[in-house]
Amino acid sequence: MKRDTLYSILALAVLGLSVPVGIAVFMLGFVYGDSPCVMCWEQRIGMALVALTGLFVLRFGARPKYVGLSILIGAYGMLMGLRHTSMHAARDVGQGFSLEVLGAHTYTWALFIFWVTVVTMGALLMAVKDRDVAPQVRTLGPLEKTAAIVFLVVMAGNIAQAFASTGPPPYMGQGDPVRFSFNPKHWVWSLEEYSPAPVALRGRWNIEKPAVAGLPADPAAGPFGTLPALIVGSQKPLGASLEGSPTDLAYDSATDRFLVTTARGVYITNATLDRVVRYTLIDPGFSVDLGRFAGAAFLDGQKVLAVGENKSYVVLRENDKADADANFKYFLESFDKFDEVSRSRFGTVRARMMYTMSAAFDPAGKSVYTITVPNAKVKRLVVSRFDAGDMTLSEEFVPKLPGGSGLSLQGKRSLDEFYVTGACVAGGRLYALSAAYSTLLVIDLASHEVVEARAIPGLQRPIGMAVKGDEVYVLSEDGVVTMAKM
Amino acid sequence: MEFLNLVIMFVAAVLVLRRPEKERLAFGLLVTSVVLMVVLFSIATRTSLLPGINY
Repeated sequence: MKRDTLYSILALAVLGLSVPVGIAVFMLGFVYGDSPCVMCWEQRIGMALVALTGLFVLRFGARPKYVGLSILIGAYGMLMGLRHTSMHAARDVGQGFSLEVLGAHTYTWALFIFWVTVVTMGALLMAVKDRDVAPQVRTLGPLEKTAAIVFLVVMAGNIAQAFASTGPPPYMGQGDPVRFSFNPKHWVWSLEEYSPAPVALRGRWNIEKPAVAGLPADPAAGPFGTLPALIVGSQKPLGASLEGSPTDLAYDSATDRFLVTTARGVYITNATLDRVVRYTLIDPGFSVDLGRFAGAAFLDGQKVLAVGENKSYVVLRENDKADADANFKYFLESFDKFDEVSRSRFGTVRARMMYTMSAAFDPAGKSVYTITVPNAKVKRLVVSRFDAGDMTLSEEFVPKLPGGSGLSLQGKRSLDEFYVTGACVAGGRLYALSAAYSTLLVIDLASHEVVEARAIPGLQRPIGMAVKGDEVYVLSEDGVVTMAKM
Repeated sequence: MEFLNLVIMFVAAVLVLRRPEKERLAFGLLVTSVVLMVVLFSIATRTSLLPGINY
């Protein structure tokens, strides 16, 4: 490629970067009153910096330090664009922050433009020859001079807007700026971004995995204080042999069988939990990340559901003639006892930042329920209902305490302190066993109220529960089954 | 601080165009501006330095 052509293309690239930054200030800012947030400002400055390095190349040649710096700025700009876009990327269609241009919000365009920058600089590097790298001061042609003048005009406009919107040092841009105005009376100069705040890599997405170890077991220390207790009839070790510790328990009255899960195992046992009738180990990888199973439920006499603590799930159907070869991709052991019906994820709204350790199925409402466990950042008891037809969120609620239930919270205690690790539905009520304070909550599914609470003394790290007849079966992490009269 | 950063960039651009013999100074201003941008963005996003998405 001829040198003049190469530098003309570069001058057009400088113009191509200056124009959107110019539109941002002169059109969106001065005409429509758009005011960049602090992140928008830095992305806008990043684009201008890439254009400025282009001017350096036009003037001094394609020296490695200029081309290299522009690639570094482009790469950091992509991080800035991704960081900003990520705040809004999962919202409903059309939602976002500030102005939309050609169907995309400005921060999304920033991500795209920085990507184009890196690609362009890569292509430029391929066209660079030795003589471009030698020290020189080039004389700018008409197009290159035009690019430089446009850049300076755009920068002057941005300097004016930045003075009004962000102020002189030490003031800096704001998270939620006010509309741009030429009237100084409406200018807001802020130091809010310097306010003390914790430094973190993943921020609110750094949520610890749930665990029952270390939870307080004494019911009397719970939010309700002293509660009437269920009478514990007997305890026995789980007779069925499992791979690893149990993680949940469910019961099907139609077939009089139990369902037990482990981290990746699904076991159907006989009525006394002494013998495994059939089982399989799910391959949790290479598809939907199922995580560690924490919830189990019978969907009918043949279909079972296992839910991971990350609310991903798998549905299995019992089949004595299952194709072992076809099932190799789904299972790690016992390939011919189940067919995999579906494997996907439950999506929630209020429970989005919390894990779950329970699952329950309501045959009357044909719905699956999950209940959150609190974590260090989010402490909220949320019940999510999913239609079993499409496994999509159909209802979500935060249980309340009714006035006349006879239950009252101690002082400033809260239902959010409960750590539900087992659940089942019976008679229109959701039974939720909390490993914290060994408390069984009874939630009315119509009113969304906690209508009853009972202590279950003597439990150690309970991870699952089921109701069989008039007995509550509680399975602990160490494999002990506790039976108590309702 | 964005105002200051844009002024630095403007000065650097003027040096490149009008006083090319001041190349080292102009490049120093350019690098200063890049560092200032990174520092300001890091301050603004320090509670979650990485993109806020499901990891």
